[in-house]
Amino acid sequence: MEKIISLKNVSKEFKVLNRREGLRGSFMDLFSRDYKIINAVNNISMEIEQGEIVGYLGPNGAGKSTTIKMMTGVLEPTSGDIIIDGRIPYKDRNKYAQNIGVVFGQRTQLWWALPAIESFKILKDMYQVKDKDYKDMMDLFSSTVDLDKLLHKPVRQMSLGQRTLSDILAAFLHNPKIVFLDEPTIGLDVAMKSKIRELIKTLNKEKNTTIILTTHDMGDVDALCRRIVIIDKGTILYDNDIEKIKSIFGNYRTLKVRLGKTSEELNEEAIKKEVEDMELKLKEVYPKAQTLHVSDVDEWINILVNEDEVEMIDVLNFIQRQRKIYDVRLEEISTESVIRKIYEGGLE
Amino acid sequence: MNTRKYLTLTRAGMIEALQFKGAIFSIIIGNLVYLIMIYFLWKAIFASVDTTTVNGMTFEDTMIYLVLASALFYFMEMYLVWEMGRDIQSGKIILDIIKPMKYPIFKFFQLSGNFIMFFFITFLPTFIVVYIVTYGAIHLDYNILFFLVSVLLGLLINYFIDFFIGTICLYTESIWGINIMKEVIVLLLSGATIPIVFFPEPLKTVVYYLPFQAIYNSPLRLLIDYSMPFSERIEILGIQLFWLIIMILVSGSFWKISLKRITINGG
Repeated sequence: MEKIISLKNVSKEFKVLNRREGLRGSFMDLFSRDYKIINAVNNISMEIEQGEIVGYLGPNGAGKSTTIKMMTGVLEPTSGDIIIDGRIPYKDRNKYAQNIGVVFGQRTQLWWALPAIESFKILKDMYQVKDKDYKDMMDLFSSTVDLDKLLHKPVRQMSLGQRTLSDILAAFLHNPKIVFLDEPTIGLDVAMKSKIRELIKTLNKEKNTTIILTTHDMGDVDALCRRIVIIDKGTILYDNDIEKIKSIFGNYRTLKVRLGKTSEELNEEAIKKEVEDMELKLKEVYPKAQTLHVSDVDEWINILVNEDEVEMIDVLNFIQRQRKIYDVRLEEISTESVIRKIYEGGLE
Repeated sequence: MNTRKYLTLTRAGMIEALQFKGAIFSIIIGNLVYLIMIYFLWKAIFASVDTTTVNGMTFEDTMIYLVLASALFYFMEMYLVWEMGRDIQSGKIILDIIKPMKYPIFKFFQLSGNFIMFFFITFLPTFIVVYIVTYGAIHLDYNILFFLVSVLLGLLINYFIDFFIGTICLYTESIWGINIMKEVIVLLLSGATIPIVFFPEPLKTVVYYLPFQAIYNSPLRLLIDYSMPFSERIEILGIQLFWLIIMILVSGSFWKISLKRITINGG
């Protein structure tokens, strides 16, 4: 397979003024030359093949956006090489721009006051898309989403979901080799999220577009990515198949219990309290179970158990002695839990 | 060169300008109020002196100059600094930087539709009214040609001055103060609020050596002063062209250098 993106020992430093406190401090800052260097990205390397969908994950402030900005050519790396589709992104931006598409979940590149179709036409002319290619692309779009509803509505009157959908279509319009999607499903409802995932999947398959996806929603990762790259504090923590990482945490199980029948019994506040309570009690009873973690997902209480530390059946027994359990499920470790473990340093 | 790539942005800007009826009406009304104000102000100034001309301009000359200056202002004002400031603060500017054309060019063509619309909505009607009311005061001659070329040059100079100020936002991340300062300086030194012939002597000379007078004063003189010799007209255009080249070089390289050093918020 052809490598389309390659990053070699890429670092990016920012110079930031050391700010002082208070009025006096702020005044002194006006004349200060006291800068500190922040390593937003520290010596990262990776290679991505044509047609891959890669999940680029990391907590807030990990250096994700900085990497994306370097890959789109907006920022120049302090050191290291980025070569994408045979080009250096920050040099010759105009030509490079023909090969990439970008969606930032919270912003739009569409013309605010105009119907989406006008924006598409503008982009078609700007990227000099041939009439036939444009028509083919629009046909592909309309086979995946309900295009008529979108095209003739002014962008400012669209819902966030419709706007994101249009923005994704706009990013693919000139058939770029690489599309960067930065939190495309942020703030959307469940139905819209799955619609957008479906769309991304189809476009990737039809056009063999390489997609770099950053997100905090593990649903996106599960639905779209086979490979994930995890970055924190500017360095890459993990870069491999998502299934492989799950096997590292092979002794982890997620125990799911439901402690009520009706929605009233299962209201959010009660569950939140229950979750805190249970974690404290379990850790008290099983002092060895340090990685045990309790959380809640839609009326279910999830207990992440490492079976090296404590047997699953013991935990279940313990809960049953305290509470009436209405329903139980047992699952492999979820992607969400894996990622959280890695953020917390679970790979070391 | 493929012009369609650029003109599509002009077209979009024109459609966009037509979407906002409210803005068009409020500009027309705001302009009217301003004109009434300067009418009475300058009437009082001319009433306070015994002669009919002040600094070689009659009351009628002054009014023609100021009315047309205000009409020019409304069509040349591009709010580019605000837009750049806002896009830098929100981080949206990234999406424009990665377009397949240079950012200064992209931004100019994006605004160009507005220029065209407002030329027809504000300047042209005002000009026709002034022409009819002061019948005979404005000569329609080949000076119109000089005027149109000069307006285009003035517009471009104004654009690149704005672009320079907008680029400063990359460093300050705040725009209010800088923009207010720029507006005051440009409006005063360009002769948009007071004709430059009224300036006291040392200042007048200084102003003629600055780029700002090439925005409003140059085209208006070419339009109104029909007795101006041909060589002087060419000279005015030459000076405008000189400033335009300087501003393109200065703003262009400032933008290029800045882009390398900046960080962009969020996303």
